[in-house]
Amino acid sequence: MELCLFLGCNTPAIRPDVERAIRATMPELGVDIADVEGYVCCPAFGSFPSTDDDSYLASSGWNLSIAEAKGLDIMVQCGSCYSSLRMGRDHLAHDEVKLARVNELIELTGRKLECKTRVRHISEILYNEVGAEKIFKTIKKSLNGLHGVIQYPCHTLFPSEIVGFEESPREPKALRLLTEALGATVDHYSRELQCCGGAGGFSKSSPAEATEFAKSKLDAIIEETKADFIVVSCITCLMYLDNIQKKLNEAEGAGKYKIPVFDYNQLLALCMGFDPKQVASICTVPRTSVIDKIIAG
Amino acid sequence: MDFSTSDKDLWKQIYNTKDLLHCFNCSTCLSGCPASHGDPPLLVRNLARMVVFGLEEDLLNDDTPWACVSCSRCEEMCPMDVKPFEMILAIRKWQTSNDETRVPTAIVEIYKRGYTQAVGANTELRTSLGLPELQTITKMPEMLKLYQEMLMKTPVVSENDYMFNEE
Ligand code: SF4
Ligand code: SF4
Ligand code: SF4
Ligand code: SF4
Repeated sequence: MELCLFLGCNTPAIRPDVERAIRATMPELGVDIADVEGYVCCPAFGSFPSTDDDSYLASSGWNLSIAEAKGLDIMVQCGSCYSSLRMGRDHLAHDEVKLARVNELIELTGRKLECKTRVRHISEILYNEVGAEKIFKTIKKSLNGLHGVIQYPCHTLFPSEIVGFEESPREPKALRLLTEALGATVDHYSRELQCCGGAGGFSKSSPAEATEFAKSKLDAIIEETKADFIVVSCITCLMYLDNIQKKLNEAEGAGKYKIPVFDYNQLLALCMGFDPKQVASICTVPRTSVIDKIIAG
Repeated sequence: MDFSTSDKDLWKQIYNTKDLLHCFNCSTCLSGCPASHGDPPLLVRNLARMVVFGLEEDLLNDDTPWACVSCSRCEEMCPMDVKPFEMILAIRKWQTSNDETRVPTAIVEIYKRGYTQAVGANTELRTSLGLPELQTITKMPEMLKLYQEMLMKTPVVSENDYMFNEE
């Protein structure tokens, strides 16, 4: 199958090694990638979705119509992009007046939107289209002997009616099964379904409280599991849970927080034998403990 | 709270859905809300009350809707289908249209270059990772112009056009 990869802003600009991991791994699993040339910001919830429907939905329509002109569905890794695009599409698909207005606004591009293009999260593609078994059979190296914990990106769970793909949003399992397919043992912990708190205004308007909130999650991981790493599938979860550990160490001065954080496709790429320098090099908490074990097999 | 100046029809302006009136103050929307841990806390239940009671002044000056991380837990869990996250966005829209200082700076960035970040500017890093050059809208001046022209026809940009004009 072929899908349009919607990259958003943060992945290509700040963590392009994740983009490299996605581009390297998906075709190996039969998912070819097309680009969304001339796309714009999803738009982020703190931008046009917070000002008016016209500018929000016109931006969604701008992006959706580029993929629709290619006759392809959209694949997204960033949780916020996924949710913003998918909610935008949902508004347009269920409201003829809004859709007509957006078509009026994007008319100058020569494109027309019919809402045929669907918006899908990369973990859903991996889980439903590729499947854990194919992943297990494709990899050359594994995470055998390593323990991982999952950060489920809330933007892929809630509201389940619109963005969800899990059988139960209260008990998500796609990322767990995908991680187990790489040979890792996945540990559960009490704050597994807690948000990282990293998106939106919270961490900016209440930095101390947001740090404390993330700390409660990391403490639960350290106290309750044998985690060698954290798996995410959202660029914001990745950057936030990685960077906040440095901040916590500076505050506590003990180096207690040192759990490497990986995007799922980075682990997949490492298990497929891709060069760690290309697919997993940008991080705050060093990843060598995990990467060395994968390479040593 | 002072109800003497409250506007009983305010909810129709801000969030015109009957579902809002079904809110029974259960507080489910607070449990699991990361921003409810903030200082000041984002209390979705209280905001719903303020909209229904029509406390215009208090609402206009309330910053907490902007602390929302858009996780949509409240949307998922609310038993009365108030769609609290939609309500948060609705309050922000109403605040923005009544107070230009609320216009998020991010939309000026997006207007100018299409993105919140300088996407595609890190060519050296991208090449070293084996990545292709990105066809960003920043590198397609004619497309960017169309995008800006389109945004100029939307309320937030046309009503605040001075923020978007190149100097
Ligand atoms: S959600 Fe964030 S990363 Fe994704 S396009 Fe929007 S601003 Fe960019
Ligand atoms: S956990 Fe944080 S970053 Fe991840 S999806 Fe939720 S809000 Fe976004
Ligand atoms: S969960 Fe729904 S019904 Fe309960 S207080 Fe919040 S908005 Fe009101
Ligand atoms: S969507 Fe916003 S208000 Fe609702 S639970 Fe998440 S952070 Fe809180």
